[in-house]
Amino acid sequence: MNKPSNVVLLIDDEPKIRRFLRAGFELDGFSVLEAENAAEALKIATFSPPDLIILDLALPDLHGTEVLDRIRSWSNVPVIILSVVSGEDEKVRLLQSGADDYVVKPFGMAELLARSEAALRRYFKSATENPVVTAGPLSVDLVSRTVSLSGSRVNLTRKEYRLLHILAMHVGLVVTHDHLLKEIWTGNQRDNIQYLRILVRKLRQKIEFDPNDPRLLITESGVGYRLQNRIEASPAV
Amino acid sequence: MTSSAAKGTAFSLALAVANVGAVTAALFPFDSSFAASVVPIAYLVPVIFAATQWGVWHAMLASITAMAAADFFFFAPIYTFRVDDPKEAVDLLLFLVVALVSSNLASRLRHREQEIQQLYAFSQRLAACFTVSDLIAAIQHYLSSVLGQKATFFVAMADGHHEPSESGATPKVVQEAVASMIIAAGAPARSLCDETTRDVWLLRPVSSETSVHGVIAINIGAGSRGSIEIKTRRVEAVLDEVSLTLKRLDIGKAMEDARFHLQAQLLRDAFHGTLSHELCSPLAGIRGSASVLGSMPLVRDNALAESLVDGISEEVAELEGYIQNLLNATRVTAGGLSPRREWADPRDVINAAVRGRRRRISGHRITMAFADELPLVYVDSGLIEEACGQVLENAAKYSPSGSTVSVGVWAEHGQVIFSIADQGVGLTPHELEQLGRRSFRSERHQATIPGSGLGFWIATTFVKANDGTISVSRHGKGTRVAISLPASELTPSELIAMDNE
Repeated sequence: MNKPSNVVLLIDDEPKIRRFLRAGFELDGFSVLEAENAAEALKIATFSPPDLIILDLALPDLHGTEVLDRIRSWSNVPVIILSVVSGEDEKVRLLQSGADDYVVKPFGMAELLARSEAALRRYFKSATENPVVTAGPLSVDLVSRTVSLSGSRVNLTRKEYRLLHILAMHVGLVVTHDHLLKEIWTGNQRDNIQYLRILVRKLRQKIEFDPNDPRLLITESGVGYRLQNRIEASPAV
Repeated sequence: MTSSAAKGTAFSLALAVANVGAVTAALFPFDSSFAASVVPIAYLVPVIFAATQWGVWHAMLASITAMAAADFFFFAPIYTFRVDDPKEAVDLLLFLVVALVSSNLASRLRHREQEIQQLYAFSQRLAACFTVSDLIAAIQHYLSSVLGQKATFFVAMADGHHEPSESGATPKVVQEAVASMIIAAGAPARSLCDETTRDVWLLRPVSSETSVHGVIAINIGAGSRGSIEIKTRRVEAVLDEVSLTLKRLDIGKAMEDARFHLQAQLLRDAFHGTLSHELCSPLAGIRGSASVLGSMPLVRDNALAESLVDGISEEVAELEGYIQNLLNATRVTAGGLSPRREWADPRDVINAAVRGRRRRISGHRITMAFADELPLVYVDSGLIEEACGQVLENAAKYSPSGSTVSVGVWAEHGQVIFSIADQGVGLTPHELEQLGRRSFRSERHQATIPGSGLGFWIATTFVKANDGTISVSRHGKGTRVAISLPASELTPSELIAMDNE
């Protein structure tokens, strides 16, 4: 089994964090590069471009947002941010300036790997070109615009489908409120998150097993929504 | 009176007499008839001098000496103390009367001036007082210099006891009276008489607007009713001045408190920084490493190893919860709570709260009931999730494992109500009253159930920051907590209608 592996660049100033990230990614079949500061990270990203970047915001020489901006000026490589709790504003800002997703410290490796996989899949999607996105029992055909749940067809309104379509294109990744509002509504309504909340509620009634306890269409409070690519095996409670 | 003071007095008396001698010597060369006409005026000079310089006794001695000298040296027959001419006798008597009256007036003036000087010195000393003990020393010094009697200050201690500022000889009756005055805060001033020495003692509470500092006991001494009244009045005047100074000291204390407050704030910020960085980053390392370890085939295939790794993860989650609580608490006290409010679905909020506390409420059955057509709420979801999470955690903590925690969400009177009810031990009326105070923990559970007492306080603060209210009531034997938040005026169906498809 000697398939070419994806290369991940870990940017974090703490050796202990890098150590477990390296172990986790290597165990999952990645090749790992490490950088402990922004200067080193930008050098590596330029001379041996990775397939995925894991970026911690607190770096000794440059803030993570600045590093993200510089990388985005010449590359679309997926970037996942390691963030701290209760920084919703910052998360939204980073997502808007091109981060693909984030995980909140402290996090488990499985969570980060799921996000990484989703980001990589989106990055390489043009190459694979499979128009059908599946999330648990749900499948969305982005070309024929059909949605089915456990094999049976689901009828959605135009806006419901639009919402699901955008989330499906980013399956496994978070999509901000702003992004969704701007893609679905026009005029004054694009600033009113109340419409989005109610639309999500309506969509959940059609695709979720229990709309009161959603497993597919997940709310990321203060940030946005995520269409789950891996469904939790055990119920939440 | 000490021996040096006695020597000083004897010397000044001699000097007063010597001054009379000097005037006599100056007048002696003149013709006796001329001298007799200026004598009464000339002798007034040493008398008044003695009165202003040393006081009334010196002046009286000078007057009598001067009269004797005038009679002896200048009135016929000369060199005898006899007076033949009745007119001259009248002159001499008149001189004595004038001398005594003017010396009395002059010495009073001198006394008054001394008093003013002492008062001035006292007020200057008051201005330089920075603590209550400085003030007490100033009062004692002033009263003993003015009244010549010791004043003792009994400092009121924090625990209701009192201590004399110095071990002066205060009689037992006085000490007992002081004790009763300190116990009864706001007791009026009083005076009492020590039966054994016949001394009158004045007892005055010394207090400012914010606190009682103690009681001052002043020995006025024995004396006529009038003299005691005068001394009492003087003491009152001094204490009035003292109370003004106390007010100034209160302001000083407030400034001192403000400085302490600032230091506490800096400390708290440092604590917050330490918590969020120094504690959280090793925790991230442990949590991450454990998760990698748990996914390794080596561990997954070994039940014992797997359970140990699970143990690490669980403990880390527990620790994370505690640190999160402390972080929230410092966030609240630092005043850094600026809610970032937006429209949120109440279902999302409560679901996130339940998921976030999944591990810690896993021993309980959670039932959820949502009303249809729930309006949206305008909140900082993060804060309300945390508040609901705290309440859920408490519900699980204080009710038997396996019992049901029922969560309900509905709308009424323009509010959305999040209700969390348990089948636990309930709250006593006393506990209900104390709940919501920071760090309150019921004595019943302190030994058996771990906790910091911060949970409910954090929940209350977070809810209030979102213009909500939190209420606690009995629910059967258990407890029901209801969080009430302002709801959107638009119902979901109105919103759907407005969102024209």
